Amino acid sequence: MSGSFSGLTDALSALNSARYGLDVTGQNISNANTPGYVRQRAELAETGPAGGVPSMYATPNSGNTATVSGTSRLNDPVVDMRARSEHGRNGYLQTSASTLSAVEGLYDEPSSNGLAEKLNTFWQSWAAVANNPGDSAARNVVLQNAAGLAGDLNETALSLSRLTQGTGQQLTDTTDQINTAATQLAQLNNAIAVNAASGSNNNSLLDQRDTLLMNLSDLAGAQASIQANGTATVTLGGQSLVSSTTASTVSIGAGNVVLVGGTPAATAGGKLQSLVDSLNTTLPNYSAQLDAVAAALASTTNSAQNAGYDLAGNPGGPLFSGTTAATISVAVTDPTKLAASGTPGGNLDGSVALSMSGYGNLAGGADRTYQTMIGQLATDVARAGQQATVQQSVTTSVDNLAQSSAGVSLDEETTNLLTYQRAYQASSRVLTTVDETLDTLISHTGRVGL
Amino acid sequence: MRVTESSTNRATLANLQLDASRLADLQEQMSSGRQITKPSDNPTGTVTALQLRSQLSQAKQFQANSNDALGWLTTVDSAYGSITSQLEQVRTLVVQGMNTGTGNPASNSALAQQVDQARASLLSLANASYQGRPVFGGTTAGSVAFDTSGSYVGDSGTVTRTVGANASVDLNTPATATFGANGSNLFDLLSGIANDLRTNPANLGSDLTQLDARQLAITSDRSLAGAKYQRIQTVQSAASTNSLQLTSQLSDLQDIDLAETVVQVTSANTAYQAALATTAKVGQISLMDFLR
Repeated sequence: MSGSFSGLTDALSALNSARYGLDVTGQNISNANTPGYVRQRAELAETGPAGGVPSMYATPNSGNTATVSGTSRLNDPVVDMRARSEHGRNGYLQTSASTLSAVEGLYDEPSSNGLAEKLNTFWQSWAAVANNPGDSAARNVVLQNAAGLAGDLNETALSLSRLTQGTGQQLTDTTDQINTAATQLAQLNNAIAVNAASGSNNNSLLDQRDTLLMNLSDLAGAQASIQANGTATVTLGGQSLVSSTTASTVSIGAGNVVLVGGTPAATAGGKLQSLVDSLNTTLPNYSAQLDAVAAALASTTNSAQNAGYDLAGNPGGPLFSGTTAATISVAVTDPTKLAASGTPGGNLDGSVALSMSGYGNLAGGADRTYQTMIGQLATDVARAGQQATVQQSVTTSVDNLAQSSAGVSLDEETTNLLTYQRAYQASSRVLTTVDETLDTLISHTGRVGL
Repeated sequence: MRVTESSTNRATLANLQLDASRLADLQEQMSSGRQITKPSDNPTGTVTALQLRSQLSQAKQFQANSNDALGWLTTVDSAYGSITSQLEQVRTLVVQGMNTGTGNPASNSALAQQVDQARASLLSLANASYQGRPVFGGTTAGSVAFDTSGSYVGDSGTVTRTVGANASVDLNTPATATFGANGSNLFDLLSGIANDLRTNPANLGSDLTQLDARQLAITSDRSLAGAKYQRIQTVQSAASTNSLQLTSQLSDLQDIDLAETVVQVTSANTAYQAALATTAKVGQISLMDFLR
């Protein structure tokens, strides 16, 4: 037989459980839109019979009431891990696509303002000189167009080098962000370990931990593994970034090598790797291709000029000085010094000017080199854009999958609210009923007939 | 799969952004009138467009060159025309002088004066210029092909115009071939004729033969110039057709099909509006609406 008052304590325990359930539901509702919040559930359990009581004394129903056994955090660790790896890839591809499209933005093609059209105009102006080699207006136009071309190449080279600088700055910023996140994670690991040892609820710390891990994936494609006590161990490119409460420092070494705690890391992913690749490969490549255009322009023009004779009949000299896009400039200031004639003697022969007017189609000339570069750039940008779009949708779908287990559903929480409210009401009713029963026993026993 | 408000919201937001960006892309195409607004819109198309533009620019240059060449040849033709008719007159004078013979020196002297005048007029015709350049002077930088004494001061350079991809035309023949070499050229011959009329009419017969030979050379060069004129015209008309084709290819490649784009914009707009309306309706539904 159970004790006379056990019904009261049982009801109290049920009331407490229901109230705790309401608390957790309230917490879920208030954090429905908090980023990184994982929904929680009050875990209720029956209290079993007290241990160590000989079965002959134990009552069949004694002590079977509800108590709070814990608060679960309802995320899916497997999906979380997948989400982190997709985020690392997404960070890489999005950053690459945005760097490439910044390079693309430097070339206004195809249009009537691009470098291709400026080249066309330049070669065309030579044809006017060929038709009338003595016309100083036509020669002046050639000089103006040459200066325009050189200026355009200089400007584009400058923009490219600014882009490289900006990317370098971004790399520094990203490294700082990674280091901050790693330091925070190490501190968090400490708090989590302490809480786990003392058995306290550390769900909110775990939410913070997962947010930081996601951040590190986006930034650096870092690999995380979760230990039994909830702390996270993070590696970056095979090197330990955060282990227990120690965080290593990420820095950028010579040649844009990622160093973790001073040791070169393998290729990882995320924004960091994309910036490193841009600085080491993409930007130098496009800079070299632009230089090749400038070099082709200078060498074809200059060798034709060197073989010709100017208006006074003297041998021609180079029209462009400098062989890179940044340094190319017009070396001739006197329009009569342009070599249009193929023979000495100061005649009005236009054969050199005539052949130069056809250089737009020259194999290995500036135009072809430029077209090849634009073609490659266009293909690269289009491919990077497609990859980024696909990866974005993969990432979104994984995020949605993670949200489907971790996200707060207000409908569900409202239903829980009703459930716990009803449970509280019913437990109160049990309490009242037991009380009334005891009242009958205490106040009315033996007073029959009075 | 469990559906939560936040996952629905995220998916809705992502789709709305997709719709909006599709609409923005189409609007950019509409407002710029171009399918290819940046190279990555169509990588192969961009390269083709660049090549077409370069070809088009060259085709335009060929047309300008053709026009210049036609102007040059017109000047040559009209100069040759006047030269030929002047030479006809000189020939008549020489024949008259031969008929008169030694009988009437006064008359022959008058004929000689007319020949001198014809020589001066022919000298100015042989110095005919196009855009400041003597057309019979080769590539000379000077302003005349023949000086006042009638000797050739031009050079033997060729004046070439490229009028098509593989069509370059030499506009001139060496003036020494048509007018004769210095010392025995047309003007030396004319001086000789005037001299013979005055002093040695007997020599006029051989002068006439030389004059006829010179006239033949000039007529044949005139017909050569005419043939060049015709050839350039043919090439020019082909180049103009080619230029039109290039323009239309370029337009096909980079310009939008207006009707198609308008339809696309309309359908993208409708899709976007539908998505917005649905979001507004569905987003409001919650269990809260149905509980007391």
